[in-house]
Amino acid sequence: MSADFRSPTSSLLLEVRGLVKSLGGRRVVDGVDLSCHAGEVIGLLGPNGAGKTTSLRMCYGFLRPDAGSIRIAGHDLATEGNAARRALGVCTQDDTYDGDFTVEGNLRQTARYFRPRIADLEGRIEALLDQFGLREFARHKPETLSGGYRRRLMIARAVVHQPQVVFLDEPTTGLDPQARVAVWELVSQLRASGLAVVLTTHYMDEAERLSDRLVVLQSGKVRATGTTRALLGDVVGEHVVVMPFDLPGTEGVKAWLKERGVRPSTVLAEWHFALDAAGLAAFVAEFAELRYEVRPPTLDDLFLALSREEVR
Amino acid sequence: MRTNVFVPAWEWQSRAVLARHVRVHLRNWHTAMLPPVCEPLVLLLAFGVGLGRQISDLKWGGAPVDYLTYLAPGILAYTAFMTSFFQSLFSAFMRMRYQKSWEGQLTTQVRLEHVIWGEAFWASSLATFYAVIVCLLLVAFGLSGTLDLHWGWLPAAIPLLFLAALSFSAIGLLFTAILPSIDHIGLPFFLVIMPIGFTSSTYFPLPETPWVESLVQLNPLHQLAEGLRWLLLQGRWTWHLAAAAGLNLLTLLILVPVDQRLLRRRVLGDV
Repeated sequence: MSADFRSPTSSLLLEVRGLVKSLGGRRVVDGVDLSCHAGEVIGLLGPNGAGKTTSLRMCYGFLRPDAGSIRIAGHDLATEGNAARRALGVCTQDDTYDGDFTVEGNLRQTARYFRPRIADLEGRIEALLDQFGLREFARHKPETLSGGYRRRLMIARAVVHQPQVVFLDEPTTGLDPQARVAVWELVSQLRASGLAVVLTTHYMDEAERLSDRLVVLQSGKVRATGTTRALLGDVVGEHVVVMPFDLPGTEGVKAWLKERGVRPSTVLAEWHFALDAAGLAAFVAEFAELRYEVRPPTLDDLFLALSREEVR
Repeated sequence: MRTNVFVPAWEWQSRAVLARHVRVHLRNWHTAMLPPVCEPLVLLLAFGVGLGRQISDLKWGGAPVDYLTYLAPGILAYTAFMTSFFQSLFSAFMRMRYQKSWEGQLTTQVRLEHVIWGEAFWASSLATFYAVIVCLLLVAFGLSGTLDLHWGWLPAAIPLLFLAALSFSAIGLLFTAILPSIDHIGLPFFLVIMPIGFTSSTYFPLPETPWVESLVQLNPLHQLAEGLRWLLLQGRWTWHLAAAAGLNLLTLLILVPVDQRLLRRRVLGDV
């Protein structure tokens, strides 16, 4: 772990209250609250169009909220923009490094866009090159790097000025498994160093593995928030039953579920539906002869549940 | 928080963006310097000296003038115009759309207003620098005895050229904001460069037709070229330079807010 980062504290570094934004006449974000403490990773999840990207773009100052407030390390983004921006780092979903500079040149150039200037910048760059495994590519142009190393560079750029809050927008999209794991390790390092990390991802295993807390957005609102387990229990249910829907006897299951107001998700040739402990016991007693699997809920189930709610 | 669109021009972030462009340019100076030296040199030799030999009865300001002398101030003005427009359109468009370096800058303390001012200052600084190179070429022609100007006024042209280039960059950035794709890059050349260039009296005096004379008064490049011509050929400050400065300032006052609004919508999806 690099000693360059700030030491962990429990202070509230990101505080978002009542964020509202309309785009094209549609309310895309509708009263979103977010918070993130030092040394915490929050995973921001939601189906496409839930308002994740718009919320994030407001948090790092790309978009002006119609209402609500954003405080970064105690600084109001609207009234103390420079101080707030000095305390935040952003790794965008696209590669937005400067193609006219080498890897180390990118770190140096990014640092030049911050005031107060970074003390001992050259030392900071050296430390980042080592920490992010970019040493051997320091004098290479970023476009010559593999996708995984380009992502490393993007995250290194996001923290070159030693921010207190860092936003990682789908940092592993398009990476192979090995590169994804390398990025996960970097995210863990950022958390351990005391940064508040806000992560968005479409990979549910990644969100579950990296996040201390999840915030689920749906239709521009916070649908649920909490630890993975608590959130799955609240939104999905305690147990998920998976069974083929084209077997003899499934008509009875369909009627049984309808009676209890349970709507199964259809995944390929299977039904997935959540039940509480009592419901599962009743199901097992009723359909003992059927072949099915019972497993704990996952974030994929959560997504399916939310998508189903959206369709309704 | 919304602020006056002109205030960010003076903030350090705009200078940081300008410095980034300077840094990249200086690294490529040996190749980047070829066009600004060779292009005006070829124009002055081919048109001024070569074609000038075939033109014996050119009159300007009621008196005969040789073609190279007529052309020299025009080339100076045209260099500022073309360089600034090209940089703020083509180069800025590439950085915004394809390199995504604008978005990278926006993840820092730099805001879009600073990126835009940085681009405008860079385009106008480069244009002014290229114009200085033209000045040096003109001095070389003077030393060789082929050109005679009021050399003492040449440095006075530099700030005027910078102001003109800054306003031309605002026109370039307008097209950067509205062009759908790189395939449409020819459109501003057709809509702006050709009409402004051909009615600017850079290469030839305009016909003394009343409606043409009235129309070209609105062309800032014409006013600049004519103003520089009076300054460098006669040593006289005329209303052309005041008109050029006025048109340039008016262009900036109108287009900077428009550019910022359109680019905000385009780059950030916000209004």
